[in-house]
Amino acid sequence: MGGGGGGGGENEMYGSMEQGNEVDYSAPLRHQEMSHSVASTSAVQQRTGSAGGPESEPSGVIDDYEVVYVKDNVSVHPTQNALGRISGRLRLIKQGSSLFMTWIPYSHGGISRQGSNVVIKGGLRNRMGSRAAERDRNLYTIRAVSLSEMRSIRRQTPPFGWQYIIIVLTSGLAFPPLYFHNGGVKEFLGTIRNHALLVRSAEDANVYLVNDIQDPLQRSLTSLELTEQPAPSAPTSSQEAPWPVVLKQETPVAAESDGKQEQSLRQIFKQEQRSESGRRRDQARDLSMNVLEKFSLVTKFARETTAQIFGESRMFLDGLDMDRGPVPRPPPGPSTPPDVEVLGIAKEARPLLENKHMKEESSSALNSADEEVVDDNLNADDDAEEQAATNVGTFELVDGTQDDTPALVWGRARPPPLGTEEWRSFLDSEGRVMDPKALRKRIFHGGIEPEVRHVVWKFLLGYFRFDSTYAEREYLIAKKKEEYEILKAQWQTVSPEQAKRFAKYRERKHRVEKDVVRTDRTLPYYAGEGDDNANITVLRDILVTYSFYNFDLGYCQGMSDLLSPILYVVDSESEAFWCFAALMEHLAPNFHRDQNGMHSQLLALSKLVQLLDRPLHDYFKQVDCLNYFFCFRWILIQFKREFDFENVLKLWEVLWTNYLSEHFHLYMCVALLKRHRRRIMDEQMEFDTLLKFINELSGHINLESTLRDAEALCLHAGERGAACIPPGTPPSIPEEEAGGWSD
Amino acid sequence: MSARKRTLLKVIILGDSGVGKTSLMNQYVNKKFTAQYKATIGADFLTKEVQVEDRLVTMQIWDTAGQERFQSLGVAFYRGADCCVLVYDVNVMKSFDNLENWRAEFLIQASPQDPENFPFVVLGNKVDVDGGNSRVVSEKKAKQWCTAHGNIPYFETSAKEDYNVDAAFQCIAKNALKNETEEEIYLPDTIDVTQNRPTKSSACEC
Repeated sequence: MGGGGGGGGENEMYGSMEQGNEVDYSAPLRHQEMSHSVASTSAVQQRTGSAGGPESEPSGVIDDYEVVYVKDNVSVHPTQNALGRISGRLRLIKQGSSLFMTWIPYSHGGISRQGSNVVIKGGLRNRMGSRAAERDRNLYTIRAVSLSEMRSIRRQTPPFGWQYIIIVLTSGLAFPPLYFHNGGVKEFLGTIRNHALLVRSAEDANVYLVNDIQDPLQRSLTSLELTEQPAPSAPTSSQEAPWPVVLKQETPVAAESDGKQEQSLRQIFKQEQRSESGRRRDQARDLSMNVLEKFSLVTKFARETTAQIFGESRMFLDGLDMDRGPVPRPPPGPSTPPDVEVLGIAKEARPLLENKHMKEESSSALNSADEEVVDDNLNADDDAEEQAATNVGTFELVDGTQDDTPALVWGRARPPPLGTEEWRSFLDSEGRVMDPKALRKRIFHGGIEPEVRHVVWKFLLGYFRFDSTYAEREYLIAKKKEEYEILKAQWQTVSPEQAKRFAKYRERKHRVEKDVVRTDRTLPYYAGEGDDNANITVLRDILVTYSFYNFDLGYCQGMSDLLSPILYVVDSESEAFWCFAALMEHLAPNFHRDQNGMHSQLLALSKLVQLLDRPLHDYFKQVDCLNYFFCFRWILIQFKREFDFENVLKLWEVLWTNYLSEHFHLYMCVALLKRHRRRIMDEQMEFDTLLKFINELSGHINLESTLRDAEALCLHAGERGAACIPPGTPPSIPEEEAGGWSD
Repeated sequence: MSARKRTLLKVIILGDSGVGKTSLMNQYVNKKFTAQYKATIGADFLTKEVQVEDRLVTMQIWDTAGQERFQSLGVAFYRGADCCVLVYDVNVMKSFDNLENWRAEFLIQASPQDPENFPFVVLGNKVDVDGGNSRVVSEKKAKQWCTAHGNIPYFETSAKEDYNVDAAFQCIAKNALKNETEEEIYLPDTIDVTQNRPTKSSACEC
């Protein structure tokens, strides 16, 4: 929690900066005990300090470097006060097949030396008095940001005043508006268009969506995800890119081909990183925290403008997590996907950090400027919101202490679902699943094609044993059908006379009947009114039978929600019954009278949030919401009400693999809460508003990105996450009862 | 009245599953009815601005799961309630018999300061079904029960036909407000209101 209270570190910051002055300017770029953003932030400071350092001529260092656009007198207006404006030079730089943008403020408020391509000629040492101004300038500096990192460019032409642009990154962060005092916006966009795909947003004619299709990764992602992304948001492919991965990579991830270029580019546009001794590392962290505070104005502005553009519920990097410790080194090795390397460049370019505490500190001087943008952007696109949130959400993981591979989760599109052919390849000649774990892993990552779902679910649910043969399963089906018929007959043979004296039976049947007629009636399979659909009758029969099979538990609301997709997929009454019964082996505690199963899951969730998002946990504590009842529905019926039917199927088969965790659904909860954390805290939601907010997320959750977030969180939490969840917490089966679920 | 903050009235709807709690709430707030509501899982609420006499209040109407098994959650949901609406289905005897349980359960879980005088309102819903032919609880019987429990106001309603729903909720708001003003008696402008507090039954013979 050092972030909010770091005011005392002001001097240290200057101290660090001065140390920075002595740093060998030509020291090779080294990464980094800190998360990327912090590193680049402190790099800003170092840059300032490097007075007298060599003024590199970029063209001398990078062979194929080319400035394709230059515009002077492009300004940032941190305040409404004209004196506070910071002018600078905006450039587009082409290197290889990539395009970068830089905006470097002039060092003394005027135009820097004519013809110089070089950034700031550092004045700090000579100008102790104007340190603050200098620092401000540096805070706003945009060093090489790759076009592939940009999500969109908003062009705004106010009736009075200068045209400006707002650049929003794929991470969801935005740069402050850049005002073109000498015109040139059109030319700027034109230049970009020459090098990348620039599409006018269908939603808002002032917004141009950027898609750097020249980037091979982008291209591949685009092609992979085309089917999932609505056309207007084409660039979302890049939003799914693994920025956080990159950020987390400490090892220089020089790709074979462009590693050298990247390196040299860094030397010019990025800042040299001094080597970090242990002592300095701490200072650097302190420094970064302080710098973060200085960023507050910028970030508030950035956040608000971004929020206005892409909707409110965005999450930004929780800067507080920064002080958890140095970012660990990710495991090197072949598992690192090549994507990561291509994106290595992104490391340097993330200009702005967000810290929730900064918001409180930051001045509201910018509000009126913000308002210019507000009105026409109120109707944010849900999708964009989702996407942006995802990325920033993932961004938050960067600063975790757990060394694992969540990095590898993002940017990797989910593989296509398991199809018939591939399913067969998992079976031996007699029909046994040869490698259940591999199968579970496969399904965890990709799901199942609808045409084999009905078979594979029976394994996942434990109705079929993985090591059973075709013949054994055939026998099982027949035997279980008989058993089912016997169970069903138990209540179907209750005569009216007997029923009169059998209140429990009547009540149960009545209760089931009340619920089945309002279960998934919008689905053609269950469509109709009342009980005029045979499948509704089957639902009822299975549920009443189950309440006799498990008389102690009986029927409870929520069960019809759990059964409905199973019957739909399995499409056989007796098999659906046994699949449902198998599922209930895990979920019955959700429906216990004492609600112990629910309470233990809610408690585990609370612990997980405490582990994975301490500030959010603290917030819930503060508003007396640690009971997590607002997540009750999510957990009770495994998100059944939160997604459309098709996505429920996709989610459940992932949950049922138990691949990463038996409690993956809890990580889903954390992922969702984290995704909306900023909104929850900014709007100071309390129990009622929070419940309402959570309930209304229903139907607006992007499954794929939430799965990815949850996967990353789960990997990230690792053993510590598992330790948050007491043994026996549903859907785990207590040890002594464990049966058909194992491999 | 000038300095008064906007009043939020918290109303809890309880009753057996399937008696029409969600439907009543939606009919009142959204003027909509569909036969295809899903069983409520957990809890949810809707809000509505209501004019009660000369005051504009916000009514927050909580809809909860109807199965008694979920009642252990009630503590969280019932807290700070200003009025409790008990709903039964006039066509289902059991749902009427259970009113007693719902009332008791509410008083335990919400533990209001003055349980004897806490405002309840009873709604007998679904009077439209089968033209009233499938009805098993008579109005007389329901009213007797209400009288015996401290003159609880009673309304017969049909969420489907939007029959008597507004009148019922108007009464609910009025009673909730009475309860609410009592709690805020420290506010100078509530004195008159509390002094004139009439008996519940007469307040809502509307």
